[in-house]
Amino acid sequence: MTRDLLHQDEIRALVREAYRAVDGESRAVAERLYSPEELALVPASAVGRALGVGNHLRHARIRPGDTVLDLGCGAGIDTILAAHRTGPSGRVLALDFLPEMLGRTAAAAQEAGLDNVETLEGEMEAIPLPEASVDCVLSNGVINLSPRKARALAECARVLRPGGELCVADVTVEDEELPPEVLTHPAAWAG
Amino acid sequence: MAGALTERDFVGKLERAGFSEIEVLERTPMGIADCELYPLFTEELLATMRRLIAPERLERIAVCAVIRATRS
Repeated sequence: MTRDLLHQDEIRALVREAYRAVDGESRAVAERLYSPEELALVPASAVGRALGVGNHLRHARIRPGDTVLDLGCGAGIDTILAAHRTGPSGRVLALDFLPEMLGRTAAAAQEAGLDNVETLEGEMEAIPLPEASVDCVLSNGVINLSPRKARALAECARVLRPGGELCVADVTVEDEELPPEVLTHPAAWAG
Repeated sequence: MAGALTERDFVGKLERAGFSEIEVLERTPMGIADCELYPLFTEELLATMRRLIAPERLERIAVCAVIRATRS
């Protein structure tokens, strides 16, 4: 019952506002998830604003020349790492619903000397890309933020070419629900 | 994490979206100490979690799953 206490629009607004307002240093998050070798490839501006929950890139089968979509790119840490792996013959499309995040990702890519990163403003439930246009979709701590998860995953399937892969790190919960006071706390929808 | 699915529901939604060869490759518990690393968790929320979540569960409030799936 607790999962239905907020409307989709309320959830979307809470998440948007929380991410827009986030201002703290989160380098410790990056150091928990990524190896020193990986972090050495990423500008400090992106490392210091990491908000992912896992390191799915260890399992993503990205090949040189691939087109990769980073769904909810945030400050760009996964985008930068993926762009190194696609190489200059590939590209990474960094999607986020906040222009502020896209600006951070673009600045990090420029600082890293990568010209194979493109930023896209949009919602994960309506990805502004043609069908079957990407080889790999990455997502790190983002699907749980969607009030329409089935729609978001269907959009991932739509933009992937047949045989393409989704590689996602996300928060999951066990069957026992968290207390309603936690589930309905506004910050719990973003954190 | 209020919007997080169970792993079973996540996999089910992937199947219904048209994915196959779905593999859960990593499962990493997330406890209150991990939540404290994220500026998205406010002090008020963290205090609420400490107060209302059973102490034995505070080390495993959620699980980070890494899942890979293929577009059929």
